[in-house]
Amino acid sequence: MKSARLPSVGAVLILAVVLAWTLFPILWQALTSVKPDTDLVQLPPLLPLHPTLDHYEALFQQHPFSRVLLNSFAVAVFTTLAALTLGMLAAFPLARLPIRGKTLVLGLVLGCSMFPAIVTVGPLFIIIRALGLRDTWWALLISHTTFALPLTIWVLTNFLRELPEDLYRAARVDGCSPWQAFVRILLPLCRPGLTAAGILAFLFSWTEFLYAFTFTATEASRTVPVAIALFPGLHEIRWGEIAAASIVVTLPVLALVLLFHRHIVSGLTAGAVKG
Amino acid sequence: MRDRSEIHTGYALLVPALAVLAVVAIYPILGLFWLSLRQRILPFGIDAFIGLDNFRLLVQTPRFWNSLGVTCYFAVLSVTLEVTLGLSIALLLARRFPGVGWMRAVILLPWAIPTVVTAKMWDWMYQPELGILNYFLRASGLTTEPVNWLGTPSLAIHAAIVADVWKTTPFVVILLLAGLALIPSDVYRAASLDGASPWQTFRHITLPLLRPILMVVVLFRMIDALRAFDLLYVMTSGGPADTTETLSIYAYKMLFQTLQFGYGSAIGVVMFMLVALVSLFQLWVGRRDSRRFVRARS
Amino acid sequence: MTSSASILRRVGLLWCTLAALLACSSSGPPPAVEPGTVSLVFRHGKISGDPRPLQDLIRRFEAENPTIRVRSEPLPSSTDQQHQIYAINLEGGSGGIDVLAMDVIWIAEFSRAGWIRPLNEFFPYTAQASFLPNTIEAVTYRGRVFAVPWNIDAGLLYFRQDLLERYDRPPPRTWSELVETARIVLAGEHNPRLYGFIWQGRQYEGLICNALEFIWGNGGDILTTDRQLTALTSPATRNALAFMRDLIRTYHISPSLVTTADEETSRHLFGNGQAVFTRNWPYAWTMFERAGSPVRGKVGVYPLPTFGNDRLASTLGGWQLGITRDSRHPREAWRFIEFLTSTEVQKILTVQVGMLPTRRALYEDPGMFATQPHLARLGPILAGARPRPVTPFYPMVSQVLQSEFSAVLAGLRDPETALRSAQLQLEPVLRLEAR
Repeated sequence: MKSARLPSVGAVLILAVVLAWTLFPILWQALTSVKPDTDLVQLPPLLPLHPTLDHYEALFQQHPFSRVLLNSFAVAVFTTLAALTLGMLAAFPLARLPIRGKTLVLGLVLGCSMFPAIVTVGPLFIIIRALGLRDTWWALLISHTTFALPLTIWVLTNFLRELPEDLYRAARVDGCSPWQAFVRILLPLCRPGLTAAGILAFLFSWTEFLYAFTFTATEASRTVPVAIALFPGLHEIRWGEIAAASIVVTLPVLALVLLFHRHIVSGLTAGAVKG
Repeated sequence: MRDRSEIHTGYALLVPALAVLAVVAIYPILGLFWLSLRQRILPFGIDAFIGLDNFRLLVQTPRFWNSLGVTCYFAVLSVTLEVTLGLSIALLLARRFPGVGWMRAVILLPWAIPTVVTAKMWDWMYQPELGILNYFLRASGLTTEPVNWLGTPSLAIHAAIVADVWKTTPFVVILLLAGLALIPSDVYRAASLDGASPWQTFRHITLPLLRPILMVVVLFRMIDALRAFDLLYVMTSGGPADTTETLSIYAYKMLFQTLQFGYGSAIGVVMFMLVALVSLFQLWVGRRDSRRFVRARS
Repeated sequence: MTSSASILRRVGLLWCTLAALLACSSSGPPPAVEPGTVSLVFRHGKISGDPRPLQDLIRRFEAENPTIRVRSEPLPSSTDQQHQIYAINLEGGSGGIDVLAMDVIWIAEFSRAGWIRPLNEFFPYTAQASFLPNTIEAVTYRGRVFAVPWNIDAGLLYFRQDLLERYDRPPPRTWSELVETARIVLAGEHNPRLYGFIWQGRQYEGLICNALEFIWGNGGDILTTDRQLTALTSPATRNALAFMRDLIRTYHISPSLVTTADEETSRHLFGNGQAVFTRNWPYAWTMFERAGSPVRGKVGVYPLPTFGNDRLASTLGGWQLGITRDSRHPREAWRFIEFLTSTEVQKILTVQVGMLPTRRALYEDPGMFATQPHLARLGPILAGARPRPVTPFYPMVSQVLQSEFSAVLAGLRDPETALRSAQLQLEPVLRLEAR
């Protein structure tokens, strides 16, 4: 990892541009979300002249949003844990153990992610319905985990492969079983990979729309993206409410990231692997 | 004895993940191939086995070739931009300086927004009359007429690519940051002691060491970009004049709007083959390159 | 650095907590119904505006029918998404739905696919006569009726009364009059942000609704009554399509942004005072007349112009209620539909939600006109609206035409080539239908 040095002026400038590029659409949504409907249709006033919280009120009044947030959160956390656990368990043999057919397994795993989601949703729904899981967390948990697994397995396999061979061999020579060597030595070193894969799995589940839309029917299991899709009236695209919804969708993630950012930082930059 | 236990443990550990994948994914995948060999149009009460006729019809349809072209164009341009941008940002954010933690959190945000919301967001910004983009263009005097971003055949696909790059760059950044974390700092210290310029350091040290994770990134981004659906469908529904109609959108319209389940599934199969081919190509190039790299090193 | 053992312990604890949470999550099958009660599932697109009136009505139905429980499962307003959900759910049976709200163009398709049941036993001709005839035509396929019209929509011409009066122009009856009026107003107003005529030219179903109004207004059509494509390539249709393109490219009274405009974009622009004319559905009227609207009190409504003949050329829209073929409680489902489409409930929905009724009596009721004055004006237009072809393959036709028409509007293809290409693509479809 690069040493602690103040970045050059050029780097600062580029970073500023990157930040502006990333944040501008979101900031624009935030501004839009507090403009009253009548102001929305006129552009010369960029900033809201009479900021209002009407759109946010409409969001929470007309829809049981707190339940929806809980659904999304629970499914995302479950998916992340399941994907990381299963993925890590699979990545270890694929990276380090002398089993046969590794390429085949990796290829098959990758193959599962090559199908467009829209063609898988119909048959999956039939299964979900047959199992009586329609409108439950389970339906989403199963489908989200399945489609988060390929990336998780690939990333973690890759990470394990990059770790020096000697560490594992040394542990085995010391008398550890493969599992012990894995848990005690390799796992802690994988924090960057685990963090990255975990974040991606969480965000995949949090933002997933198609399966959530198809498998849920009421607030019992509806997630945030589907709830947002239910906002607009027959013809009305309520820009204000959609803007408010986008902010509400982003805030929990932002809060989580800021809460855990020290872990993310150390997870992502755990340069504990000295050459 | 030791090796035996390793092999047994290995297979045992693989089972849970593979079981989940097999159980959930197998039925839809088999169903897809099976349906693609049938003509199943419920509004006509047709449900018959027709072999490869769907594929024959597909190849003769100009609309299919158009969507194939749009898909490839969108994917290649998007992924190139995302990876370039993402790599640059990751390199900048891999250092330790005050505020970098916050920045890494902020950079993540576009990926944390559901695609349908992103699409509506950019749609709003691209509105010819009410959109902020045209407002800035007009205010700065660059244009006099409002630009019809999503309604002009040549512009629409590029407007969509910009939105897609905005959304997916964080994915690249996060994985590359993790990859950069694995590079020991001694390597950099040694390089600077040797008098290497930043560019040389990047090209001969960072890039080769990033190669494995970079390959995973490009692989998965390409797989996703070739199957992209939500963003384009919400912004343009494939228009104007099918100039943003990817294979995904074409398949969706055939499947869910005209209820031609056989034909739509055939498009799905073609998509799978396209993605598989492209992925295999990438893996082959990657393996060949890394072999060359290893040879050069030794 | 925390040891791996403690990490594992923490993760294990987290798993247990979440597993417990999962077990307690109150999701799954609906609450058990007492014996003797029937539970109906009603799927419908989200109602525009306040959802409470509909919910109140459902509660009222349950109170009046203590043995029936209705579970309302709303869907997003996007018709595409609703169609998708119905396709996925109904593919393998009733999908657990009893009553569903359908767009007017789906009826023939759903009935031929075997997803909805014919309603003639519940809804005989005598009952059908109370409804607007064009709505009944839209729900009748091969002699049997498959849904009950719930609310109606039709394409309307909105115009700025104040601007027309200023330049002493009457509301246009023909398209050339509209072009001329728009020209005069635009020339006089010198306002670069003011457009002549905004309509929906984006590549979606709305484009076909708009296009049909031009085509029918010129005496053309896309399918003849005996399901032939001869009308599609007729000069009347071709010229209508050319006119649409000319509005943008030759007369310059429609800006190029109409190629990406849908109902809401059009409504925003006109509602902001940026258009002289616009074509939209009746819902827009309520928006224009809202408090704070810049065009409040300045908007007039008129039937859409034609190319000289006196026929009304307005596309019929609206939603219909049907019963799934495999529903286990068709009688109770019918009772619910009867309730929702009754005169009284239609009145309530009109007043509180702004839906337009499908019962003829409500357009002849002076009491209604008192509170909803626009009904008097809209009545004749709504009654004269034409349904799109009532055939199971209409979505396929629409798909092909959307593609071709959009190409014409974008200047990529001329009308003759586009229509001929459409004909080539649709011929195999018609051959399938004839089987």
